[in-house]
Formats: sequence, C-alpha cells, structure tokens
Amino acid sequence: MSAISLKKYRSIANRSLQNVLAYRTSYVIGFLANTVNLLAIYFLWQGIYSGRSDVAGYSWDQMKTYLLVTFLANSVLSWYSETSISGKILDGSVAMDLLKPLDFQSARFSETLGASLLEGGMSAVLLTLFASFLSGITLPHSPLVYVLFILSLICAILVKFGVVYLAALLCFWSTGSLGIVWTRIAVTNLLSGALVPLAFFPDWLERLALWLPFQSIIHTPTMIFLQQAGTAESLNLIALQAFWGLVLWFAGKAMWNWAVRQVTIHGG
Amino acid sequence: MRVSQMFYLYRRLYVQQLKAILEYNKDFYILMCSAALTQVLGFVFLWVIYDRIPDINGWQFWEVTFMYAMIFVTEGIGSLFFEGTWRMSRLVNLGEMDRYLLRPVPVVLQVFCTGIGINGLGNLLIGGVIIGQSLVHGNVHWTPGKILIILLLLITAVIIRVAINLAANSAAFWIKNAGNAFPLMVHNLADLAKYPLSLFPQAVRVFVSTVLPYAFISFYPATYIFGKSGWSGWWMLAPVAALGSMAAAYGIFRFGLSRYESTGN
Repeated sequence: MSAISLKKYRSIANRSLQNVLAYRTSYVIGFLANTVNLLAIYFLWQGIYSGRSDVAGYSWDQMKTYLLVTFLANSVLSWYSETSISGKILDGSVAMDLLKPLDFQSARFSETLGASLLEGGMSAVLLTLFASFLSGITLPHSPLVYVLFILSLICAILVKFGVVYLAALLCFWSTGSLGIVWTRIAVTNLLSGALVPLAFFPDWLERLALWLPFQSIIHTPTMIFLQQAGTAESLNLIALQAFWGLVLWFAGKAMWNWAVRQVTIHGG
Repeated sequence: MRVSQMFYLYRRLYVQQLKAILEYNKDFYILMCSAALTQVLGFVFLWVIYDRIPDINGWQFWEVTFMYAMIFVTEGIGSLFFEGTWRMSRLVNLGEMDRYLLRPVPVVLQVFCTGIGINGLGNLLIGGVIIGQSLVHGNVHWTPGKILIILLLLITAVIIRVAINLAANSAAFWIKNAGNAFPLMVHNLADLAKYPLSLFPQAVRVFVSTVLPYAFISFYPATYIFGKSGWSGWWMLAPVAALGSMAAAYGIFRFGLSRYESTGN
C-alpha cells in the first residue's frame, strides 16, 4: 500500500479514537459494566476452585491469569466497532461510503484499530491495578513470551475483526442488528474460550473448537501467556491465527462485493 | 382509572405494536432464535463446568441452572411485555414524550407499550424448559403449599425485574445522551444473581439484596425450593422487595417526569 493511502487510513483511525474520547461517559459506563462481569466471573471461579487444587489441568493461579488475559483480549475489540459497522448498513449511510475513494473494509478496520488502541490501553491499566491486589498471578519471566503474546494479540484482533465484519455484513439482509450481534457474541464467547478454557470441554467439543477460527481470539493468546506452548509451537499457533485472519479478511471482501450488488437503501 | 380499564388499554396498545413487529418477520425469527441460542450456550457453560466438578460451594448443577434460568425468564417477560422501558432515552431525547403527556392514559402504561422485544419469547421458551428440568431433576419435596409459594415467587421476581428496568431507564431524564449505557450496566449487574450468593463477599450480597434486589429473583427462591439450610426464611422477604422496588421505581419515574422538559425543534 502506498504512503498516501496509508495516511488516509491513519487519519480514519485517529478520528475514531477521538470519537471514543468525545463519548467518554458511555464508554466509561460500558467499561464499568465489563468490570462487574469480570468480578462476577472471578468469584464464580473462586468458588469452583475452593477445596480443589486443580481442575482440567488448570491450577487456581493459572486460572486467575487466564481470566485477566481473557479480559484484555476481549476488551481490545468491543461493542463499539460492532455496532458502528452494522449501523452504517442499517441506516443507509453505507451509500456515502460507496462514493468515497476508500476501501470499505480497510476503512472500518482502521476505525476499529483506533478505538481498540484506547480501549486496550484502558483495560491494561485496570488489569495492572487488579493484578496488584491479587496474589499468585503467574507472569512469564522471559521477554520473548511477551513479544510472542503481543504478536498473537494483534493477530487475535485481525481474526475477531474478520468475524465481526462478516456478521455485520449480514445486516444487508435483515432489518435489525441486535439478533445477529447476540448470536455472534454467544458463539464467539463459547468457542473462543472466553467463558471457560477449551480444555474443560468434552473431547468432541474441544476438537470442534480447535478446528474453527474462534479459538484464535482467546485460546491462543492465553496459551502463549501461560506458557502452555513452547516457542516453536507458539510460532505455529500465531501462523495459524494469521492464516485465519487472512481467510476471514478475503471472505469479508468477497461477501462485501456480493452484498453491495444487492443493497437497497432507503430514500431520505 | 380502574384496573380493568388499564388492562384493556394495555391490550389495545400492545396489539398495535405486535402488528408492527409481524411486518418484519425475518427479524422476528432472528431475534427469537438468537435469544434462545444465547441461553442454551450459557447452559452449556454450566454443564461443561459441572462435568468436571460435582458441586460449587455445595450447590448442585440443577440448582444453579434454576437460578440461571430465572434471570433469563424474567428478562424475557420484561422484553416481551414491558420492552418500552428500554425506549425511554429515545422518548425523552427526541421529545416524543410530549405526545404521551397529552393523552388521558397513565404515562407509565404508554411507556410500557412503546415496543415489544420478541426475543423475550425465545428466553421464555428455553428458560421455561430449563426451569422445568431443574424442578424435576433437583431435589425438591413437593407439597401443595410449595407450588403456591413458587408461583408467588415467580410473580414477585417479574415485578422486581420490571421495576429495576423502569428505574434504571428513568436515568434518561437526567442523562441527556442518547444510548442505554447506564441501564445496560444495571441490567448486567443481574449477572451477579445467576450464581449462588454465598460465592460473593458480604458487600456484594447486601447490594444485590437491597439496592438492586436481583437476589430475590433467583437466589432466595432457589434456597426455598431446594431447601438450603442457612438461608431459610429469607425468601419471605421477596414480596416486600417486590413492593418496595415497585414503589421506588414508580417514584423515580414520576420524579423524572416532573423534570421533563421537551426538546425544542
């Protein structure tokens, strides 16, 4: 991509970052709501582990770390990006985007990255605070693990964007986005390992989950952070994430090309 | 206004909304299925955990699923019959409340009928099945009195849920900003009542029993039905919680309405 077109997309990312800042009350409240969820889940797991040292190969200390990493990976790409893409399609403002000399998908991705930067930063701060109150969080020592973790987090964003984008494009055929968003959230949460580590699943379900792209979103970053995978295996996993990211990206492109030919936009 | 007249008006307003919904029937099915699926997957979550361990803090699988489903079912009834509370920020911010104030019909009744969340049907269906299964498989000693009390607890649960929704959405009178972030947060706090209260620290227990009495929707009924010693008798406060939250919610709504100033355009 040439320098000029990169600049275009950078300014879109910047704009979306400022947008989040402008509507900070809603953002902060949404963030608080996520924190409440994290607390509820934390206490649930504490209860599950009371009187047990080990469940499905995870110790309580590992589980705490798992929850925090999941929270981080989940909050870097949130509700905001989800509703903004489908909103454009539903209210017809996608017509304006069709006129712009920008690739719709790349523009939305830059928008998402802009917002993710802030959301990820905020959750990182919150997590550091939270972690300092908890004992027994297992942090990796080797800097290499952190490098690999950040790499896999970036790939996770790409994969999650792919899933969100495909789901949002479905709104070309529906009149509301809520049902599609709920379905996507429910399926992603279960199959990515956001609710419960995939190792807890019965064999057949675990195997199914590992065959699907969703596991790249949560399962892979947590495995790398908890050092359940060696360096070589981590690199393999990251390559798999990148593969899914690309597949979903091109699937999104294909679906967009097909969908815009069917578009009906309400006159206003 | 007499109660029968209120019911009549509610039914008329409701049927009008229903016609509007059935117009877009593709959405109707998507919403219903997605609500049902969300719930089934939540159930799978509990099942996966209980597959590994026999109990959480002395609570068995079917006891927790009962609590879980109670939260979903009351939410479903809330969306199906009182979805309008969620449209309040829109009504206030676009000045549409003016219309309601001019009619000789209680404003709160009109607010309730501003929309129908058909997703509630999905919640109700799956949630009902899970509650039924929980009562069959759980260790329940049935007596005729118990059945009556369970019905009463179901009613209080719905009242509490709707009251909290109304109160939280009344925030629209103060927060001048489209969007439902605040009521959504209050709504999400119900997550705390999906699991046994004994898991949480004292502050959380007090909070979900008094300020936002979600625990009376799920936890206290469960302690009664499954005969949990240590919590016996607490469920009797459920009607008090229901009346209290209803009065508080209506008070907050009226107070907000008195502050309502229309938008100027």
